[in-house]
Amino acid sequence: MAEGTAKAEDRQFIPISFTLNGTTQQTQVEPHELLIDVIRNRFGLTGTKRSCDVQVCGACTVLVDGRPMSSCTTLAFEARGHEVLTIEGLAKNGKLHPLQAAFIEHGGFQCGFCTPGMILAAKALLDQNPEPNREEIIHFMEGNICRCTGYKKILESIVAAAKILRSPGR
Amino acid sequence: MAELTIVGKPITRVDAQEKVTGEAVYGYDLVLPDMLYGKTVFSTRPHAKIKRIDTGKAREFPGVVAVITGKDAPWTHGESIKDKPFLAHDKVRYIGEPVAAVAAEDEDTAQAAAALIEVEYEDLPAYLSPEEACKPGALPIHEDFAGYRKSDFIVTAPLPNVCEHFKLRTGDVERGFRESDLVLEERYTLPTIQHAAMEPHSAHAQVDPASGRVTIWVANDAPFRALHEIAEALGLPLEKIRLINPLQGGGFGSKGGLKVEPIASALAYHTGGRPVRVKFNRQETFISTLTRHEAILYIKSGVKKSGSLCARQMTIYWGAGAYAEKSPTVCIRGSLPAPGPYRIPHVKVDGYAVYTNKPVSGAFRGYGIPQGAWACEQHMDELAKRLGMDPLELRLKNVFVDGDLAYWGEKLHSVGLKETLIKAAEAIEWGKDDISKSKIRSPNLKRGKGLACISKPTRTPTLSKAAVLIDASGGVTVLAGTVEIGQGCSTILSQVAAEELKVPLEKVRMAPLDTDVIPFDASTTSSRSTYHMGNAVRLAAIDVREKLAEMASPMLEAGKDDLSFADGKIHLKEQPQMALPIGEVVRRRLGASGFLRGDSSYTFEIGKDLDLETGHSEHASAFYMYATQAAEAEVDEETGRVRLLRMSAAHDVGKAINPLNCEGQIEGGLAMGIGSALHEHLVVDETGKVRNPSFLDYHLATSLDLPKMIPIIVECPEPEGPYGAKGLGEPGLAPTPAAIGNAVANALGIRIYDLPLSPERVYWAIRRMKKKVA
Repeated sequence: MAEGTAKAEDRQFIPISFTLNGTTQQTQVEPHELLIDVIRNRFGLTGTKRSCDVQVCGACTVLVDGRPMSSCTTLAFEARGHEVLTIEGLAKNGKLHPLQAAFIEHGGFQCGFCTPGMILAAKALLDQNPEPNREEIIHFMEGNICRCTGYKKILESIVAAAKILRSPGR
Repeated sequence: MAELTIVGKPITRVDAQEKVTGEAVYGYDLVLPDMLYGKTVFSTRPHAKIKRIDTGKAREFPGVVAVITGKDAPWTHGESIKDKPFLAHDKVRYIGEPVAAVAAEDEDTAQAAAALIEVEYEDLPAYLSPEEACKPGALPIHEDFAGYRKSDFIVTAPLPNVCEHFKLRTGDVERGFRESDLVLEERYTLPTIQHAAMEPHSAHAQVDPASGRVTIWVANDAPFRALHEIAEALGLPLEKIRLINPLQGGGFGSKGGLKVEPIASALAYHTGGRPVRVKFNRQETFISTLTRHEAILYIKSGVKKSGSLCARQMTIYWGAGAYAEKSPTVCIRGSLPAPGPYRIPHVKVDGYAVYTNKPVSGAFRGYGIPQGAWACEQHMDELAKRLGMDPLELRLKNVFVDGDLAYWGEKLHSVGLKETLIKAAEAIEWGKDDISKSKIRSPNLKRGKGLACISKPTRTPTLSKAAVLIDASGGVTVLAGTVEIGQGCSTILSQVAAEELKVPLEKVRMAPLDTDVIPFDASTTSSRSTYHMGNAVRLAAIDVREKLAEMASPMLEAGKDDLSFADGKIHLKEQPQMALPIGEVVRRRLGASGFLRGDSSYTFEIGKDLDLETGHSEHASAFYMYATQAAEAEVDEETGRVRLLRMSAAHDVGKAINPLNCEGQIEGGLAMGIGSALHEHLVVDETGKVRNPSFLDYHLATSLDLPKMIPIIVECPEPEGPYGAKGLGEPGLAPTPAAIGNAVANALGIRIYDLPLSPERVYWAIRRMKKKVA
């Protein structure tokens, strides 16, 4: 957990180095500390959302070496030596990733709380399968829960982004 | 009306950029300087006296700043009945009730210290069913109920634990039953479910030691209700309290009312002026926030051979949980239209909101309509079956049309119900069963179609105020108390302001919601915002536009009425090239830092209040929302699994201010309705404990669970609504379970009376029927 400032003498810290959104970071983490807390509290990246705490809903999804991981059940020290991408690292030089643009264009979110995890999971899907069919999308996205949209516009957003990502000249 | 330039267009959301980049800061993300961390201790007993609370060890724990119990918070609150303590006083009434709280320097410390608090209880008998809790002889859960402060509309009954008794009396049901060719009586039930918004609950509070002023940061969907309720409880004048509303990650009704807010504000009195955050995790959100009313519904109808409805009687028990919260008004507004959107000469309804020793029930998207529809709409199909009529035909024969006098005494207008019935049915090829049945892969798979329709009132009368500001660069700022829960109000209200001022949407921004500066609004509930706040923003924009025209008149050397607006400019109607940017008008007259402000206030006048003896009202609602949903389902007789093939949802929205957003609301409502039909059940066991307070065990619909969805927008304009608009947020899930239930019954020939239609329940229903046949 480790939110706040109190320091107990007997706490044990592990030095780790990992890449966060393209930048190498060195920090110290406690053995039980979760990746979500390090990302949110230490680095202030609150786009990674906490919702279910038990790796069911996908709101806390980050990409670790390109693979979607639930940061709420990943120990922070496990990120050691790996590349972690959060939603804040997806847009490049102020330009939205095609998935982000497609979620806007096709109404793929409402309250937006599941959206960072949803977009990162979709990125992992399209990175490994640039032309997924409907069945493949709904199976891959099953681990990301949205309580607002009914998923239809999320699926439409992913299909649209896949098309743009496949277009020549990209 | 002038041609619409932006209202009616499927534009993308104004809050998009921050939400897709992760920059959006929600209540759950908010960190305040020098903040302390709160942790709550919850009751472990469903009904018990508190004998002793020992906080000694927690107080001594290093890093702890404050520990409080009910003794430190001797206040009670409640929307219409002041029955709920900030922290339990002398007894607890459900497992999950806040009993004590800790504020500490960090979360781990707060949690460790909270675990050291010891509470000793003396158990009392617990009531876990609303029907049992109001049987004569049941012991009161609230001994002091008679002494509680209550709103004038509360009607009590000479039955234990009833906190509201709603009565509807029209005609003479006994005569109606005598005159009928067929009388049918049934019982339906729905379990407790939860909103499960993706963002759990939290609140931050701070008390300024010098002024005694309380500031609360909370994603509450009724900030002014929260403000007034806390101020009243604490005995504070309104200027001593301020509520700041950060972004909200979904609500669906759960984020109105007070849950975390009282704990945070009580703690803040003991932190020496430092802000404190109280955050519920998912499990705490499940057991200690709000749920949807479980309900038991008895329905009896008399009908002629021709299909004309003669009489309907309903008795409904609404499970309020341990505190009244919104139960009285859910009981009233859910029971009133429960007999369905039909012409019925003789109607009698008794709705009882009943205390139980379970988590508190509150507002939930649909506000009582899904419960009534689950009973009424399946009952209609059972009547149709016995009459040998097509269920669609029976409905078309009886549904409300323009000019009908509804059984609660109101003359109806703008009724788009028939159109929704026809369009929803058409969309799933109603009546063409053979084509789809021939595609079935296995003899165990049975297919069927079903539909259900509803009408839904909105909370009436209610007030919305708004202000619209124009600055010297032509920027428009909208001050509106509607909360962006995800429903898209910031986009809709921006469209309204842009439309009236004829400015590009990019020039409009919504002011952050802070009760110190935002004008009053009743609540972001009841699908009321597009209509009420839409009207308020429209009127405020017109007010500022008139002022602007007056200012521009001498500058353009023309009369006010000879001026017109377009593209962010004000121009001569006859010579459009003679124009001034609106910001330029403000700058010339008021200077570069000046701004012009328009204000408004909108409420729908109802005339006489609802009659408490008959339930009659000439204007029970500012407008009514109408909808029909139709389902095609496939049921596996071997496993009991229900698979939905397709669902249509036709909703009369009056006028779609943003069709893309309307579709999103319909699809999202449908998904939630499907979840409540097939999966969702917050299981409270015989000891009063929630058995599944986790997303592992409380099944929310995923992308795999949903069928092909066909949203259909019907526009039957409401003359009083902005551009003809009604509302849409809530009805999306209301007819869904009944439509699915009817499809399942059509497939199997078996009626299932209880939700959810889980494989286990469906399987056993099939087994029972086969045994009977054998």
